[in-house]
Amino acid sequence: MGIEVQRIAELLPDMTKAFGETLYMVGISLLVALIIGLPLGILLFVTDKGLFLENTVIKSVIGFIVNMVRSIPFIILLVLLIPLATLLVGTAYGPTAASVSLSAAAIPFFARIVETSFREIDKGVIEAAISIGASPWMIIRDVLLPEGKSSIIQGLTLTAISLVAYAAMAGVVGGGGIGDLAIRFGYYRYDKTIMVVTVIILIVLVQLIQFAGDRISKAVDKR
Amino acid sequence: MIQIQKVSKVYQTKDRLVKGVDNVSLEIEKGEIFGIVGYSGAGKSSLLRCLNLLEKPTEGTILIDGINLTELKGKQLRQARLKIGMIFQHFYLISQKTVYENIAFALRAAKTPKQQIDDRVTELLEMVGLSEKRDVYPGQLSGGQKQRVAIARALANNPSVLLCDEATSALDPKTTLSILRLLKKINRELAITIVLITHEMHVVKEICDRMAIMQDGKVIEEGQVYDIFSNPVAELTKEFISSVVSFEVPDTILAQCTGTIVKLLFKGNVAGESVISETIQQFDVHGNFLHGSIEYIQEMPLGTFLMELQGREPDIERAISYMSTRHVHVEVINNGN
Repeated sequence: MGIEVQRIAELLPDMTKAFGETLYMVGISLLVALIIGLPLGILLFVTDKGLFLENTVIKSVIGFIVNMVRSIPFIILLVLLIPLATLLVGTAYGPTAASVSLSAAAIPFFARIVETSFREIDKGVIEAAISIGASPWMIIRDVLLPEGKSSIIQGLTLTAISLVAYAAMAGVVGGGGIGDLAIRFGYYRYDKTIMVVTVIILIVLVQLIQFAGDRISKAVDKR
Repeated sequence: MIQIQKVSKVYQTKDRLVKGVDNVSLEIEKGEIFGIVGYSGAGKSSLLRCLNLLEKPTEGTILIDGINLTELKGKQLRQARLKIGMIFQHFYLISQKTVYENIAFALRAAKTPKQQIDDRVTELLEMVGLSEKRDVYPGQLSGGQKQRVAIARALANNPSVLLCDEATSALDPKTTLSILRLLKKINRELAITIVLITHEMHVVKEICDRMAIMQDGKVIEEGQVYDIFSNPVAELTKEFISSVVSFEVPDTILAQCTGTIVKLLFKGNVAGESVISETIQQFDVHGNFLHGSIEYIQEMPLGTFLMELQGREPDIERAISYMSTRHVHVEVINNGN
């Protein structure tokens, strides 16, 4: 059995739908990671020892939760969070429900990346801002975020690519998506055509995300 | 006025406590340029960072214009810092912000109204001579230009004190000189007290009024720059001064000398050269210069000469005592072969 063009045409509507679902799930969870993970990453950084909002309690509590969520295998997180999905989005099934688990995985992942991005900033620049008399909020907004921006965009790219991979497991809760199509048709039914096509789509998608991420990250860097 | 009272800073390393600053007391007058000199690890940087509480002293108090900084926290401390500018060896500008935004950042920290920020930044850029670089990012500036931006930023909120942490150590000699001149101009025109730390003695010689020398966390010598240059006491001080005023004469030359070798020191307005020529005319001695220089410190000349005096011993002795009466400090290095 070779790769049949006719078979591709036949499955085109399915694939378009799956592609849309993948983009939908990755998009939502990326947005949530940005909204919740970024502040968490900032908190992780500024409460660290020797920094301007040093706070051992906050640092270790957030650090512990982040590590805990990150240590749970995604497939298990997906099942574990079914009740949470029901509570938040009113359904335990479909791409929206899967986005809840994807977001839960993306938030701590991205938070750590943000923290690491800030660590790359020269401590002297932060000290100079302190010596000027800037408030913690000003230091976050005018020093940490601009100086870490380029690196954070790289981190967001990394998060997006990880999410594309995680989204393949969304089929467990009926999330759909390209990865799910590859597993159901390509793997379970030994449909080589669909297997190859979906994998190619995924490769192209990941390359595109990386390309865009690199370009944007470079474009915003004024160094 | 800055009063540093019995300040100590202790650091905890892996296995022991290190006294970075050890019971230092200093008073720095309003409007003066005060230099703190020492090798790296002497504690000068820690001491400077204690002055705006970037490092909290373990013991002692810091008073600036009568306000006890060591008691301040949070918002009050930030308010106090607005009036203490600081510049650094590596400038530490925000690389992702333009020159304008970097300076405006300091003004926003002081909650300056928006319409005033523009005027003030223009004024500051004019003062540091960088008006045309207003919208450029720091990455496109030279080291000297970056330091000028940092100076503008530090002066944005009209501080009474400017702290300089090795501010010229990353710059080439020519740029160093132009930055030092700018600092001096700021000090004279705006009456800002400047405290600078450096390991380069020529920086102190160039602009400081008074200085302190630090070793192992302690101040070992302190005084007017001119007095310390003309009469250093501690070994370390002499070592630092010899880096600027060197009196190395090759051994082969010294070996050829048959007369008495004397070191002559002229301070201030003593007309050194005429004293020497008078001495040689009056007494039956011959003079032979081995080395000599006149340094200008705070615009006062400090002359140092190394001479070989030849003649009969009593004549030489009389010549030396004559020069001493004429306010020349004479030190006999070698009594002849």
